[in-house]
Parts: sequence; C-alpha cells; structure tokens
Amino acid sequence: MASRRIEERRAQHTRYKEDVERTGKPFFPHAMFHDTVMSLVVVSVIVGLAVVWYLDADGTEAGVLGPHYTEEADPGTTNFIPRPDWYFYFLFYLLRIFKWPESVVLGTVGIPTIGLVLLLALPFLDLRRERRLFRRPVALVALLLVVLSMGVLTYKGATARESLGSELIEAVPQWSERQGFAGKMEAVEGAEIFAQAGCAQCHLYLGTGSQNLGAPELTDIGSGERGAEYFARYVQNPAQFGNNVMPPYAALGEENLQKLGVFLDASKGTEER
Amino acid sequence: MSSQGEKPHVPPPSLWPIGFAVGIACILIGLVVSWPVAAVGAAIAIAFGFLWIRDVTGSVREPVQAVEPETRRVADTGGAPKALEGREAMPPMSEEEIAAYPRSTFLSAATLGLGGVIGGIITVPVLGFAVLPSFTNQKDQSVELGPLENFAEGQFVIATYLEDFEIGEVTRRTVFVRNNGLLEDQPSFTILFSRCVHLGCPVQPNGLVYDEQKKTVGEKRVDLTPSLVTGFGCPCHGGQYDTEGNRTAGPPVRALDRAEFSIRDGKLWLGQFYSVGNVESTGARARIKKYDHATPGVHVDGPEAWLYPVEVPG
Amino acid sequence: MAVTPARRKSPRRAQIEAAALYPLDWLEERSGLVGAIKYFLFRRVPRDTSWAQTLGSASLTAFLVQAITGVILAFYYKPDPDKAYESIQIITNDLTLGWLVRGMHRWGASVFIILMFLHMARVFLYGAYKYPRELNWIVGVLLLTLGMAEGFTGYLLPWDQTAYWATVVGININGTAPFLGPFIAQFLQGGAAIGSDTLSKFYSIHMLVLPGAIAGLIGLHLYLVIRLGVTSPPWSPTEAGRERAPEPPSTNGREGLIRPSGRGGSNGE
Repeated sequence: MASRRIEERRAQHTRYKEDVERTGKPFFPHAMFHDTVMSLVVVSVIVGLAVVWYLDADGTEAGVLGPHYTEEADPGTTNFIPRPDWYFYFLFYLLRIFKWPESVVLGTVGIPTIGLVLLLALPFLDLRRERRLFRRPVALVALLLVVLSMGVLTYKGATARESLGSELIEAVPQWSERQGFAGKMEAVEGAEIFAQAGCAQCHLYLGTGSQNLGAPELTDIGSGERGAEYFARYVQNPAQFGNNVMPPYAALGEENLQKLGVFLDASKGTEER
Repeated sequence: MSSQGEKPHVPPPSLWPIGFAVGIACILIGLVVSWPVAAVGAAIAIAFGFLWIRDVTGSVREPVQAVEPETRRVADTGGAPKALEGREAMPPMSEEEIAAYPRSTFLSAATLGLGGVIGGIITVPVLGFAVLPSFTNQKDQSVELGPLENFAEGQFVIATYLEDFEIGEVTRRTVFVRNNGLLEDQPSFTILFSRCVHLGCPVQPNGLVYDEQKKTVGEKRVDLTPSLVTGFGCPCHGGQYDTEGNRTAGPPVRALDRAEFSIRDGKLWLGQFYSVGNVESTGARARIKKYDHATPGVHVDGPEAWLYPVEVPG
Repeated sequence: MAVTPARRKSPRRAQIEAAALYPLDWLEERSGLVGAIKYFLFRRVPRDTSWAQTLGSASLTAFLVQAITGVILAFYYKPDPDKAYESIQIITNDLTLGWLVRGMHRWGASVFIILMFLHMARVFLYGAYKYPRELNWIVGVLLLTLGMAEGFTGYLLPWDQTAYWATVVGININGTAPFLGPFIAQFLQGGAAIGSDTLSKFYSIHMLVLPGAIAGLIGLHLYLVIRLGVTSPPWSPTEAGRERAPEPPSTNGREGLIRPSGRGGSNGE
C-alpha cells in the first residue's frame, strides 16, 4: 500500500518533469517578467511607506504610520504602555487570553511551539497527492481557521486597551457630563480618584474598565440613595459590609474617601441605560 | 577471507600509547609545578605520539605510496575504495584492496577525528565565552535610598535609582517602598520591584501619585515620589496586584518580587531582589518564603514550579 | 532574417562581439558560472505559472532591500545603550537621506514578513509542499522563523521605550519555557536583566548571525526550487504532471522516464 503510494507520486513527479520540459516556458523572460514587476511593486511600496511615515510623523509624534521613535528607553518607567510590533500582535493578544497563572506557559511557549511543530510537520501529515483545495477539506478548514484566528488576534491585539489611571482620567469630563455632576467639584475630584486608584480594573463604569472578580458595574451605584458616607465607609473597609473579595482602600486617606463617596453617590446612571 | 586475511598484518599491541600518556601527564603536572617539566612532558608526548602513529600506520604505509587522492575518492563514494593507480578494483575484494582497506578506514577516521579536534579547540572556548559571562559576571546590588524620614509610615514611596551608577541609565530601576513602622523596635520596610512577574512589563501604581512632591536625594540621585497606592496594575496583559504584591487578577504567576533592605546610619539601603510565591498577612507581619530572584513568568512554588527545576546561577 | 544583417557586417562586428564576450568566455572556461546562470535563466517552468508565484522572489527582493539598507545603517548606528537612541535620531533627522534608508529598513521588515506569510499561504493553497518538495517547505518555515527573529532582534535597536519593553517581554517569553527557559532568558540579556551588553548582543545577532543563516537557507531554498521545479496551479487545465487518462500504456512511469527527451525535441522546439 505504502509502496504503491510512493510509486505513484514518483511517477507523477516524472510526469511533471516531462510536461514541463515539453510544454513549459523558459523562466527568462516569461516568468521572470512577472517576478520583476512584482519586485518593482515591492520596492515601491517600501519606499512609499518610508516616505509617508517620514513626512507624516515628527520625532516622537505619531503620524498614520506611527512615530519615528518613541521616548528613549527608560528601564525604570511607571507610566509606559508596552506594545510589540504589529506582526507580534497575535502573540501579544494570545498572552492576554491566558489570564490564569497556571496557563501562562501555554500562551508563551505551548501554543507557539505546537504551531511551529505542526507547520514543520505539515508535509508529513498531509501525504495525499491531491492538490486541489476543494478536495482537501481539512486543509481548507485549517487554513480558514488559522487566517481567521490570526486576523482576529491581530485586530484584538492592535485595539487592546488598559483601564489604567493615565488613560481613564481623560474620560472624567465626559463622565461628569453624562452623569450630570459636572458642577460638583467634590464629585469630579472623586471621579479622578476613581479613575486613578484602579477601581476600573474590576468595575465597569459607563462602558470603560474591565470586569474582574465578579465586581458589579458602578454606573448607577448611587441610584439607591445610600449617601456619600456609606460609600466612603464601604470602600475604606469592604469586609465590614460582608465583602471579602474587594480589598480595603483605607490607604487613600479620609479626605479622598469622602470625595470618592460623593462621586459614587452622584453616579445615578444615565437615561439611555 | 576479508577479516582472516587481515590478521597477519595486525601488529602486536605496542607500549607507545603508555609513553604518550606519561608525556601528557607530565605536561599536566608541569602546568601546575613548573614550565620545564611541562616542556619535558611535551617532548615525551611528541616522541611517543610519533612512534605510536608510525606503529599504527606501519602496515598501511608499506604497500603503496599514493595516499592523498585515494582518501578523497573513498570519501566521495561512501566507503567503497575504488582503484589503485588506475588498476581495476571493482571486482569484489582484490588482494590490494584488502591491504588498502584498513588504511582508508584509518585515514578517514583520522581526518574526521582531527577535524573534530580542530572544531573542539575552536568551539569550546568560543561557545564558553558566548554563554558563560551571562551567568558568571553578575554583581549584587546595593544602593542607598536616602534618609529614613523620607518614607512616611504606611505609604508607598516610588523610588527610582541607578543600580550601577557607572554603567548608567540602562540599570535604572524602580521600586515601591513602604515603611511599615516598627516591629519589636526594628524598622520594617516592604520593597516591591516594579517589574510584572508575568513577563516583566513595568507595573503602574493604582492610586494617587504626587509627582509635584518628587525629590532627588543623595549623590547617586535617587528620585523619591510619595503616593497613595491601592494596588499595582500591569499595562501589558492585565495583571493586577494588591499592596502586598499579591496577584489579584490576570496572569502573574507569583507575587511581585521584593528587595532586601538594611539600615545604616539612618539611611535605607536596598539589597538583593528575591522572589516570593504568595505573601500572607500584611506589612511588617507579612510571612514570606524567599526564593532566589526568578525570571518573570516562572513559578516559584506549587506544582508548576516543577517545570523549572534548575535555578539560574548569578 | 535576423541572421542576414549580422552576417553582412561580419568582420568588424564579429571582432567586437568576440571582444565583448571575451570576459564571459574567460569566466565560463574557468568557472562554469555563465553556464549555471544560463541554466537558471532558461530552465523551463510550467506554462501556467503566474502572479501568485512571484511572492517568493518578491520576498527575496525585500530581503535584499533589508540587507543593503541594513549594511548602510550600520555605518552610522552605534549599538551602545548611551548612544543608540541619539544615533537613531541623527540618522532620522540630520544625515542626508538617513530618514529614507532607515524608513526603508523599518518598513522593509514588515513587507518582508508579510510577503513570507503570503508566500507560505500560496504554497499551502497550491499544495506545493507535497512530494518531493517537503524539504523545501521545512526550509521555508525555518526562513519564516528566522525572519521573525530578525524582526524581534531589530526591534530593540532604536533603544526607545517601545523597543525596550517589547524586548523585555520577548526575552521573558523565552524565559518561561520549561527547564531551560530561564537560562535562555539570562543568556539573551547577558545577565539577570537587560544591561549594557544586551544591545550589542542583539545587534550582532541581528546583523551577522541571522542574516548569514537566512542567506544560506535562501540559497538552499532556491537550489531546491530549481532542482524540483515550480508547481502548476492545481486547478489549471494544463497542469504539469496531471494524470493522462486516455492512453494508459504511455502513462506508465517507466516509459515516461525514457520519453521526455525525444518528445520534447519534436514538439517543444
């Protein structure tokens, strides 16, 4: 059986050689013309990208194709958000998917290694002679899945955002506008503390932030009329209120806790919700 | 026919290798004791080595002289010796061929062996130099973070410093220092390293950072920024830590790395980094099992730690 | 018709032609290179090859762009943590046409990687990795991996924030590999953290080790392409090597071995 397969494919390759010899075209200039035109396109695209990139950006200011360079490397930074080059976005997002400590090694090494091994082993996994795509259903499905997942991962990686204080604080004016506490100085300051203190790491607020540890959305937390003082005490030590998941935030200090309480109390939710 | 015909040509076992070995031993001893001994050893080794090679190749050298081209041809045809000086040798095993065969085996083995020796002489030191300095030439860090009064009790101070002032910016590091107050009259500090233990990104403090109160202390220009920190967040893959450095969300595999500290003349000194699995209790009362400073993403405790059985030196 | 005028001018023209061709003949007689190049250029490829099969040579072009611009950037770049960032700024802002060469190298990298992926997808679609081209597929996958490694090591060189932290993460990804991971990470960093030697190490890998390996593998890749031939599109009606149903006896493998030269002589030319 196996030897017949080997004989068949050898015969096919012999046939191929024969056909090419008989009906093929000389590489130069017939095929090489295509190659040369394509290479011209490639070089033009490279030069074009370089020109657009250079003209549109200015030093650390990004243009459509990004900045010429970012700030000089600072190994001690506490406010930089690292991102890889675009062709590693899929890997970058893969690492975000595996968000359990036990699974880290799967995302970093496991899946890439499996992928690479599968890629290397492909000619030995697919031994049939059939080359027409629609008669290779497994290959077709695999191709579509790989392209799709790489595309999705790359897209997700490119658009991934963090609910970090440095980014969230810019949303505060919009929050105060939509919640209607724009005039209330204490509430706005409370909102700024909310943005910076990492609350949005677990709580959703007006569509920003991420939900972790089963924390509730806080957009309309103030609609229950429990008062600013209640929230200040709650945040200071959630355990007193029977909440053992949320850590205490007493470290913020009494003044800041009060502001935070006022802000939460002022968060009545928006009309469209 | 093949092996029996060879028998008479095989020389009796010689004593030359022993002399050679004695020579080598002399060289080795001489390297430690004195150069003349080594020189004598080298002379012995060379003399006996020469005699040994002569002895071994003796049977081979007798019949023919043309040596060089033949080895090449033998190598090309995969071990089947073809002909001696135009004589037809394709019919299986002529007399000459039997005589010639051991020589070609020896020569090809010798060629490969010598090639291997050359390769070894070059590769071993080169590979060693390529790899080893990364593990051997490592220094312990010891940095002064300035007077204790800069560290208000119970609050984190963000300290940015140069681990090695001479090397410069590339050794800039950030730690979060919290004065835990006195425990049994001993000062206690919690010092968290700013690198995420998932994959080493720079974690950001959640909370209020008082940049306007930043001050620079000491000759080594350490920056100290007071803050009200409620936890730490990683900007890469969403890791979250509480104020003890324990993971609260996301992929980090252990708690944030910590640094040793000591107090000399009323100043806080930073020592080695170390890794911790999980911190129980808080502040000065925290119970910590220390591990050697591990690579980010590497489990130090639990069953996953079995994936990383060997610790990196240095 | 083309022959006649040439013959008329023959004495002088022949002399000139001989003089012009002399270096080529000289080279051919001593190396056989001209013949090899002729073989490469005038070898036959299936008649139905088309644009999709230009992605490989396009990748090669992108690689050559990278090699040339890279060598020139190395004139001005300084792989030292204290100077690298400044030298990148000088290349981009001050040196005449520095921005263009750096831009071409930066974007050429992306184009190179995209083209390699497209090329691989084309080979996959055509089933061109099948017998007897398995080895060439493997060489191609290695080239892709090395190309990605080029991207990774090159990303650090500008020594800006993006570069630094992407490298930190990349190194630590290697660091999580079971057993040897931490050693690999420490080797790449040249210590417990990225330090003064890391940049020059990456620079050396980026411009000597990997390009050398890539160039060698490209040579092997091309050799195998020439030796094994280019595949026809599988859906092509004139696909080279397709089954010939009508006359069973003539499609026997053994006969096929003998036939091609004779038939090629009568039909093809």
